[in-house]
Amino acid sequence: MDLNLLAQALVSGILAAGLYALVSVGLALAIGVIGIVNFAHGEFFMIGAFLAYQLFVSFGIDPVWSLLLVAPALGLIGALIYTSTIRFVLKAPELNQMLLTFGIGIILTNMALLIWGGDPRTIAGIAYRSIGYQVGGVSIGLVPLASFVISFTLVLGLYWMLARTPIGRAMRAVAQNRTGAALVGLEVNRVYLVAFALSAALAGIGGVMIAVIQSPTPGVGLAFTLKAFAIVVVAGLGNIRGVLFASLFVAISESLVATLVPNGDTLRNAVFFAIIFAVLVWRSRRVA
Amino acid sequence: MSAPAAASRAEARRGPFPWDLLGVVVLAIIAAFTPDLLRFVFDRASVSYLSIASNALSLAILALSWDMLARTGNLSLAHAAFYGAGAYTTALLVKHADVPLWLGIPLGGVVAVAFALLLGSFTLRLRGIYFAIATLAFAEVLKSVVHHAPTDFAGGNAGMNVPALFRPVFIAGEMERWEVAYMRNEAYFYVYAGLLVATVLASILLQRSRLRHAMTAMRTNEEVAGVMGVRATRVKLLAFTLSSAFVGMLGAVEAHRVGSVLPEQSFSVATTVLALVTPIFGGLYTTLGPIVGAFGLSSVQELLRRTFADGYLIGYGVVLVLTILFMPRGVVGTLGTFFRRRRKGAQR
Amino acid sequence: MLHIARRLIVLVAALALGVTTAQGVTIGVLSPLTGGSAGTGLAQRAGFELALQEINAAGGVLGEPLRIIVEDTQANPAVGLAAFEKLMTEDDVEFIAGGFSSGVTLALIESFRTFQPIVMWIGGAVSGIGIDGFDGIEELIGEEEWFFHVHPWDYHNVEAATAFVADTGVQTVTLLHEDSAFGGPGSAGAQALLEDAGLTVPLREAFTSTLLGGTGDFRAAIAKAAATNADMLYWIGYDSDVVPLTSQIRELNYRPQHIFGAPPGWPSEFAAAPEAQCVTGLIGFMPNLPTPEAQAFTRAYVDLHGAEPDNYMAALAYANLWAYADAINAAGTTDQAAVIAELQTGTFRSPIGDWSFQPSIIAKHQGFTTDLWLVFQYQNGVREIVWPLEKATAPLVSCR
Repeated sequence: MDLNLLAQALVSGILAAGLYALVSVGLALAIGVIGIVNFAHGEFFMIGAFLAYQLFVSFGIDPVWSLLLVAPALGLIGALIYTSTIRFVLKAPELNQMLLTFGIGIILTNMALLIWGGDPRTIAGIAYRSIGYQVGGVSIGLVPLASFVISFTLVLGLYWMLARTPIGRAMRAVAQNRTGAALVGLEVNRVYLVAFALSAALAGIGGVMIAVIQSPTPGVGLAFTLKAFAIVVVAGLGNIRGVLFASLFVAISESLVATLVPNGDTLRNAVFFAIIFAVLVWRSRRVA
Repeated sequence: MSAPAAASRAEARRGPFPWDLLGVVVLAIIAAFTPDLLRFVFDRASVSYLSIASNALSLAILALSWDMLARTGNLSLAHAAFYGAGAYTTALLVKHADVPLWLGIPLGGVVAVAFALLLGSFTLRLRGIYFAIATLAFAEVLKSVVHHAPTDFAGGNAGMNVPALFRPVFIAGEMERWEVAYMRNEAYFYVYAGLLVATVLASILLQRSRLRHAMTAMRTNEEVAGVMGVRATRVKLLAFTLSSAFVGMLGAVEAHRVGSVLPEQSFSVATTVLALVTPIFGGLYTTLGPIVGAFGLSSVQELLRRTFADGYLIGYGVVLVLTILFMPRGVVGTLGTFFRRRRKGAQR
Repeated sequence: MLHIARRLIVLVAALALGVTTAQGVTIGVLSPLTGGSAGTGLAQRAGFELALQEINAAGGVLGEPLRIIVEDTQANPAVGLAAFEKLMTEDDVEFIAGGFSSGVTLALIESFRTFQPIVMWIGGAVSGIGIDGFDGIEELIGEEEWFFHVHPWDYHNVEAATAFVADTGVQTVTLLHEDSAFGGPGSAGAQALLEDAGLTVPLREAFTSTLLGGTGDFRAAIAKAAATNADMLYWIGYDSDVVPLTSQIRELNYRPQHIFGAPPGWPSEFAAAPEAQCVTGLIGFMPNLPTPEAQAFTRAYVDLHGAEPDNYMAALAYANLWAYADAINAAGTTDQAAVIAELQTGTFRSPIGDWSFQPSIIAKHQGFTTDLWLVFQYQNGVREIVWPLEKATAPLVSCR
C-alpha cells in the first residue's frame, strides 16, 4: 500500500471529523440540555443549505458571509417552532417528541420541495470548493480545513459558554434538574428556548457547509442526521467535548477503511455504525 | 345472596368477558367479507381499494409488531432489519432452494427472530436512546452486509427477483381482465389480514397474560421491576421474538407482492420510522392503537393525495403535529379517556 | 332488488368522491412526485403538461380535449402498485405513461400483464441483460405487444458512453460508480466494452451516492483513482454527486485528461461553477441544442414553466405524450390493436428529433437508443456538444 495514500486517508479522515462534529453539536445541545429528541434536526440542515443557496442566487452573497445570516435565521425558525409546538411536549414521553418533530420534518421537507423543486441546486460561483493545498504529496482541502476549524471553534466556544457564562450555567442546571432549577428561580422555559434556538442556529451553520460541499436537495439532511444522532449518543448525552472525540474516531476509521479496502467507500456506513454498535454494547457491559 | 354478588362471583370464576377476543373475531369476520363487499359496492374499482387496504393492513402489522417490543420500554429502531431479513430470506429460498413459495413466509419470520435474538442478547443492558441508536446501528450494518454479500448469493446491488405468490390466469371469454387483478389482490388481502389477525392474537395474549404487568413494570423502571421479581431478560427477549416474527413474515409477503428485493428498498429507514410513528399516532402500548393508527394514517394520506396535486405530504405532517399536540396519548388513548370520563359523568 | 341497491350505493359513492364521467381520451401518468426521486418525477410532469397544452391547442385527441391524470408513486413499489390499479379501475384509463425507478417498474410488471393497457414507459432502464441470475425489466417484459419503452436500456447508455470514450483516444480509464442497480451493473458493462475496445481499465471502484445515504465525501475513492493516473476518470452516479465529485477531484490534485460522467441529470446551475470547466457528460437533451425542435421546445417550456428544462426527462415525457396523441389520432380510434399498429409504424415528434419504435435485444418496442445520447463539455460556463462529431458545436478539449 502506497504510503501517500495512507497519509491522505488520515488527513481526509481528520478533516472529515470537522463536518461530523459540526452537524452533531447542535443536536447534542438539544438532547443534552432540553432532553428533546429532535427528528427534524436534519431538516434544519436542509433549510440552512437552501437559504445559503437562495442568498447566493438572489443577492450573490457568498456562503462565507451568508453564515452570518443563515445562523440567526435558523435560530429564529427554531425559536418559532419551539414556542408554537415543542414547548408543549417537554414533559411528554420521548416518543411524543419524536412524532411531533417527525411531523415538523415532513412539513419542512415538502415545503422545500414546493419552493425549490426536487432537482439538486448548486452554489456555482465559488472557487474555494476545489482548492487543495499540496503538502508533501498529501492534499489538504480548503473547505474541509475551514469546516474543521469552524466546527472545533464552535464546539470549544459552546463548551466555554456552558461552563462560564450565566446562560450556559443555567442550561447545565436545567439539564441536570429541571425542578431544582425552577426552584432556584431560573426561568426554565426561557433557557430551553435559547438552547433550542441555538441548536437550530448551529444546524444552520452545518447546512451552509453542506450547501458548499454538495447540492442542496429536500432530502440532503437525512444521511447527516442519522450519523449525528449516533455520534451524540456515543459521546454521551450532553457531553459536548465527547462529540469531538467521537467524530474524530469514526471519521478516521471510515476514511482508513474506505481507502484500504477495495470498494471501501461503500463500507463507510457499515464501519461507522459497527463502531457505534460496538461502543454502546461494550460500554453497557463494562458498567454493569 | 344478592344477584349482583352472584354475578360477580361467576365473573370471577370465568374471568371478565373477553371483549378483546370478541373484537378479533369481529375483525376476522369483517376482513373475510371485505373483498366481496368492496366488489359488490365498487365493482372494478375494488381492485384499487383492495390494494390500498392491503397497504393499510401491512402498516398495521408493522406498527403492532413494533408496539409489542415497545411495551417493555425499549424503543427499537431495527424494525427495517427484521422486515428486510424476512424479505431476503424468501428471496434466497426461491433463488437457491426448490421449495414451495409460501415456505419463505414462516421461514422469513424464523430468520427475523434469529436476528432479533442476536440483537436482543447484545443490547440487554442498554436503555432509552442508547438502546434506540444501537438498534439503528445494527439495522444499518445488516443492510450493508446484505448489500456486500457475494452477488451470486444475494444479488448484491441489483437485488433479486421474487416471484408472485398468486398468479391467477386470465381466461378470455369467461372473465374480464380486472377480475384477474381482483383475484390476486383478494388473495394478498387475505394473507395480510391473516397475518394481522395472528399479530393481534399474539398482542392480546400478551396483554392478558401476567407478562403485561411485567412489561409495564419494565417500562416504568427496569431496575425496580427486577427487584419485584420480573425476569427482565426473558421478557425482553420474548418481546423481541414476537415483535420480529410478524414483521419478518410481513417482509417476506411484501417481497413476493412487489416482485423484488433490493438492499435500499428492503432495509429502508422509512420502514423503521413508520413502525414507530404509527403506534404513537394511534395510541401506544395497546392492541387497538397501532391498528387505528395504521388505518387513520393510510386514510389521511390517501385522502390528501387525492385532493391536492402538490404538497399533500405537508398536510400529512400537519395532521401528525396537531394529533400529538391535542391528543398526546394518541387517537385511541385520548378518545378512550374522553369516553370513560363521559360515562363516569353520566353515572353520577 | 340487489341490483338497484348496488347502483344506488355506487351513485352515492360517486357523488361523494366527486367522480364525473370524463369525455375524450384520458392518459394515466405514474411518476415519483415526492421523496428522493421527486426531481425526476416533477420534470416528467412538467414535460407532460407542456405536451398536453400543445396537443389540446392543436385540437386535442379524436376531436376532444386530451386529459392526463398524474399519480405519485413516491418511488415506492407498493404505492406505485396501488396508484397503477387506481388508474386502471377507478379512472378507467386505457393508456399509461410516465414511469421511473426499476424497483417500482419490477413491482408493476405483473399487474401490467394482468390489465394489458398500452404502457408507454419512460424510465426503468435496467434491462437485466448481462446480469447473471437476475431478470431485469426487458427480460421480464419479453415480447409483449402492449409495452413501449421510451428511455434507452442500460446497455444503450453504456454503448454510447464507451463509444465516446474510445473516440477520445485515451488509453487508460478508471471507473468510479455508485453502488446500486443503476451504477453497479452499468459500470461492469462499461468495463467489459472498454476492454473489448482495447482500452485498459486499471481500477473500477464503488462509492455510496449522496442520493442513497452517502455524505458526499468521495476522497478515498478519488485518491485511489488518482493513484492509477489513468487518462480518463469515468464515473457513473446521480446528479447530486456531481458537485462533490468534481470539486474533490480538483482538491486532491488529480488531473486526468478527461473527467467524464454519466448521471441521469446534471444540476442546472453547475455550468457556472469553476470545477465544471472541461468536465464532460452524457446527456439525453440540452435546452441549447441547436435544432429547431429543441429551440421550440425550450421556448415553449420557458413560457409555461418560467425556467429552462434542466432534466432531460421533461423532453422524454413530452415525446411520450405527443406519440400517444399522434398515434391515437392517426388510428382514429382508441381501439388497442389499431393504436399499437400506429405506434409500431409511426414516426413521432420530440425535442430531440423524430423518433419511432424498433425492436431491442428482447423487447419489441424500443424508442430512443444509443443515438439519443450526446456528450457535452463545460467550456467556460457553456455546455458545448462535443460528441457525436456530426452534432458537435465545439471540439473536445483536454483538461490538462
